[in-house]
Formats: sequence, structure tokens, C-alpha cells
Amino acid sequence: MANVTLSQIKKQYGNTPVIHGVDIEAADGEFVVLVGPSGCGKSTLLRMIAGLETISSGTLKIGDRIVNDLDPKDRDIAMVFQNYALYPHMTVETNMGFSLEHRGGTKTEIAERVKWAAEILDLSNLLKRYPRQLSGGQRQRVAMGRAIVRDPQVFLFDEPLSNLDAKLRVAMRAEIKNLHRKLKTTTIYVTHDQVEAMTMADKIVVMNAGEVSQVGAPLDLYDRPANRFVAGFIGSPSMNFIDGVVENGRFTAPGIDLETPSFTAGETSRQLICGIRPEHLVIGGEGISAEVSLVEPMGSETQVTFSLPEGTIVGVFRDRIAAKPGDILTLGVQTDGCHFFDPLTDLRVE
Amino acid sequence: MKTDMSIRMRTMLYGLMCVLLIPFVFPTWWMVTSSVKPISDIFAFPPDLLPRTYDWSTYQRVFELQPFAQQYWNSGYIALLVTAGTMIVSSLAGYAFARIRFPGADAIFMVVLLGLLIPAEVTIVPLFQMFNQWGMINTHWPLILVPVFGAPSVFSTFIMRQFFIALPIELEEAARVDGLGRFTIFRKIALPLAKPALSAVAIFTFLHSWNLFLEPIVFISTPQMFTLPQALTQFTDAYGGAMWNIQLAAATLTALPVLIVFIVAQKQFVEGLAHTGLKG
Repeated sequence: MANVTLSQIKKQYGNTPVIHGVDIEAADGEFVVLVGPSGCGKSTLLRMIAGLETISSGTLKIGDRIVNDLDPKDRDIAMVFQNYALYPHMTVETNMGFSLEHRGGTKTEIAERVKWAAEILDLSNLLKRYPRQLSGGQRQRVAMGRAIVRDPQVFLFDEPLSNLDAKLRVAMRAEIKNLHRKLKTTTIYVTHDQVEAMTMADKIVVMNAGEVSQVGAPLDLYDRPANRFVAGFIGSPSMNFIDGVVENGRFTAPGIDLETPSFTAGETSRQLICGIRPEHLVIGGEGISAEVSLVEPMGSETQVTFSLPEGTIVGVFRDRIAAKPGDILTLGVQTDGCHFFDPLTDLRVE
Repeated sequence: MKTDMSIRMRTMLYGLMCVLLIPFVFPTWWMVTSSVKPISDIFAFPPDLLPRTYDWSTYQRVFELQPFAQQYWNSGYIALLVTAGTMIVSSLAGYAFARIRFPGADAIFMVVLLGLLIPAEVTIVPLFQMFNQWGMINTHWPLILVPVFGAPSVFSTFIMRQFFIALPIELEEAARVDGLGRFTIFRKIALPLAKPALSAVAIFTFLHSWNLFLEPIVFISTPQMFTLPQALTQFTDAYGGAMWNIQLAAATLTALPVLIVFIVAQKQFVEGLAHTGLKG
């Protein structure tokens, strides 16, 4: 096991920069998730850690070694690919033992390691099958088996669950997390799914346009997003953003007049964006008067879209809502439910 | 009602296919049946579908008039060597063009492809002079080297390149992470997965070499060194007239391995072409 340190890592394709000086530290045994929208550079960054992409500048360390110029095979990492990348012409057993075979492992040693990995991942009865004879979930487990069999210092996962259906994804999420708990190997996991990131990570790195937007524990990111991008990206449905003015301890916007304990009374007028998570809206509170435009009962909760004089907001409520489109409701916000962002810099304002 | 329609459609389709088959099957049928007919019956009109009398001695005469067994062997071993050589050259070149980024790769590939546009007749004289200088005239070397490094190999390289381009790059990246170098990835991952394309290349190349005609008549001059297509021209009487039934018996024997190869490997042939995105 080892820590992974990225210092000022940059990547350029020709004259086009795609990663702009990224600093990330994954501690020994930590499960770090890189999350962000498509094209934000998270997979490129992972491939740079794997050695499948060159690093334009900066330093990448695995343990105490600088590995910038090392081949993937010399970095002591294992990677699980999005489409599993199992060798179609080899059985599960050969797929899993292939890397050990090429690193000079003896037959007995390879057989033992494959058996060990197969037992952990419940693959023992599938060892003689070919990848084409396996289901999506089984293939995913074989891909993980191929990674763990070598006992590498770092596991890299590149959106490994994106090809699975929703139910299987939830099951595999738990399986990967259990595996990490057992093996305690440093893991860097790329996903665009913020639910995966929130449920699996010890530490989340939110990326946007080739830069790190925020690094932190899942709930820290949820509770105190550093900027508007993170606030909007983490949480589902997304946070509501309302342009308005803070003055004398109150946030006002058309149809909204909220008390803002975080700002002192007497503060001069300031343009800000107020972010409110859908689940932090309360029906029957004070401060927002809005017309119901859509009611979506989900069973466990109800999602309601409200029209405001300028734009719409979404609320999620645990209770079943009797309201129907056209009704006017008054809404409040739970304590500490308002996040404020500067409209010019998009940064969080305390 | 629907079933009636589909049966009628099917019958019509099969009928149409049978009609379309006639121009392909009839010449082969005519060749095989005429090889055992007396000469006088061969050009009878209307032609007989089956011989009235069977004269099997034509097959014996084929071996008496020419060193046909030797010529058979010549064609066979040359075709096998050409096939093996082309498979090696085209898979390596195809992989390099598909996967290795090197300066001018696209331009070089275009130049290589241009080789397909130049007819063999254009290059045959310079090739003759070159092989003459190398002392290889009336040897089998030109019949091996020209296809392995010439147009058939270019076509095969194109097939292999298309196949390797379509192969998921993640397989090779996984192999790199697993500790394999470039050549081992080629040998242990890419090549075993390229079997369908390799089969197509093998069949194409074997057929091309087996049927090669221009190069043997230019480079080879003694019957012992002849290949089969060249030998077929030698079944003539003292006045240069064709001994049709013997020539057709030799032609039947010549076509036999090709037919067998195609029947046995038909599936790989079609699959290989399908994988490379080429249409026959």
C-alpha cells in the first residue's frame, strides 16, 4: 500500500491544456473518488496516474517514488476499466493470472493467488468460463479479481459501474466498498455519478474543466460546498440557486424574503446568489411564496416544482403532498439551509 | 395468410438464387464433366449435362504429359510459404499502422496503399531485371517474394489494419498495466484476437498465389519448375492445338484444393471480411 501524491499535474494535447495544475493527495489506504461532469479531465487524470497518458508537467509520486516516466507495469498499480477489458480469448482463470504469469510468478503461486481472489469475489465456480459466457456483474467482478490478484499498491477504477443496470450498480458499489475494507489498498475511483462518489468515498475530489473545484469528505462537500459548481453538482436533485440581495440580515428576491442568520443586521446591501437544497425547503414555513407547477410523487418522497416570479425552484418532501399545480404555497428553509455564493466569483460567501 | 406470403416469397427468392447460380456453377460443371468426355463430345451443341461415355484415362495422361505431381508440389509449397509470409508481414505492418503513432504514418500508409493501384504488368519488367541481377530467374524466389512484399500483402495489411483499429484499445492498455511490452501485447493479445481477419488474409493469399499466372510465365522457364496455372497451358498436341479433355482434367485437379479450401473455410472467409468492414 502507498499514498499517491499529485503536485501541479498538467496535461496538454498540442497547445490545448486539459488539466491545469492539479494537486491531490490520496493517503495510504484511502478511497478517493474523482467526480465531475463528462469532459472535466477526471479519466485523463486517472490514466496519467496509471501511466497510460504522459504527464506534461508536475510530479506524480506513488509512495516515495516519482513515477512520471515509469511504464504502467513498473508503477505497481492495477486498473479496472469501464468496459472491463477482459481478454476475450482467455478463461476467467487465465485472465486473472495473466499479469502474475508475466511477472514471473510460479504456477503454484499463480494458482493460489487466483484461488484467493476468486474466493473473495465469489468467482470460484466461474474460473473455467470465458468472458462472453458471463453476465455484466460477473465480468465486473472478474475485472476486479484481475486487479486484486497482484496485490498492487494502488487500485485505479475508471467508471467501472457505468455499464451496469441501476440495481446491479448498487450491489457492486457495496461490493467494491467491502473489498476496499478487506484489502485496505489505496484506491482512486473515477465516476460522473455523484451518488457513487458520496456513498463510496473517504475523500471526494470534484473536478471541473481540468481543475479541482473542491476536495473533502463527502458530507463536507454537501454541507459546505466551496463554490457554486460543487454546490450544484453534489446533491440530487440539484441545489436551487436564486439571485437576490442581502441586506440587514435578510435575503430578498422577487417572491422571497428570508432571514439570514449568517449575515449580521446592518450589513450594507450586497448582491448574492442563495443556494437552497431541495430537501431543505419546508412547506408552511415563512419566506418564500410560490406557485406549484408540477408534483411528482416518488413513493418514498414527493418532488415538487414551484414557479417564482423569476425562475423555478424544486423541493423534495418526505411527506405526501396534497397540493396540485396552480396552488400557492408558502415555504421556509431549514436552519442553515441557505448557502450564499458571490455572483462574480461563484465562490462561497460565509 | 401471412405464412402463405412468406412461403411464396421464400420460394421466389430461392428460385431467383438458383437462376443467379447458373453462370457461376455451369462453367465448373462443364469443366468437370468435359474432363471425362471424348474430345468430340466436348463442344457438342446443345451441351450434354452428363457425359455419354466416361473416359478416365485423361487424368492419367495429365501425369504422363507433364511432371504434374512436381508442379502440384511447386504450387502447393509456394502458396503455403506465401500465405505464411504474408500473414506475418501484413499482421505486423497492419498492427503498426493501426496502433503505433510515428511521424508520417498516414502518409506512408497512403503510399503503401498506392501499391494496389499499380497493375502487375507495369512492374513486371523492372522486377524481371531485378531478379535477373540477383540470379533468381527460373527459381521460385520471385513467386514467393513478389506476393509477400507486393500488392497481395498490401491488401492484407489493409485488412489487418482495419481489424486492429476496431480492436478495443482498453485490451491493450489492460495488458500494459498487466506488465506486457508492445511486442508481447501484439503476440499474446492482438494476434490471437485477430484470427478472423488472419483467416481471411490466409484464404485470399493462398488463392492469389495458387492462381498466379503472369509472374510464373515471366520468371520460370523449365517444366520441372512450373506452377499449375502455367502447366495448364502446356497440354497441347504437336501442332500447338489444345488437348481439351486433358487440359480440363488438369484444370479440375488444379481447382480441387481451392474448392476444398473455400468449402472448409467459407465461414472464416465471410467472418473475416465482415470484421474488417470490407465488402467482397
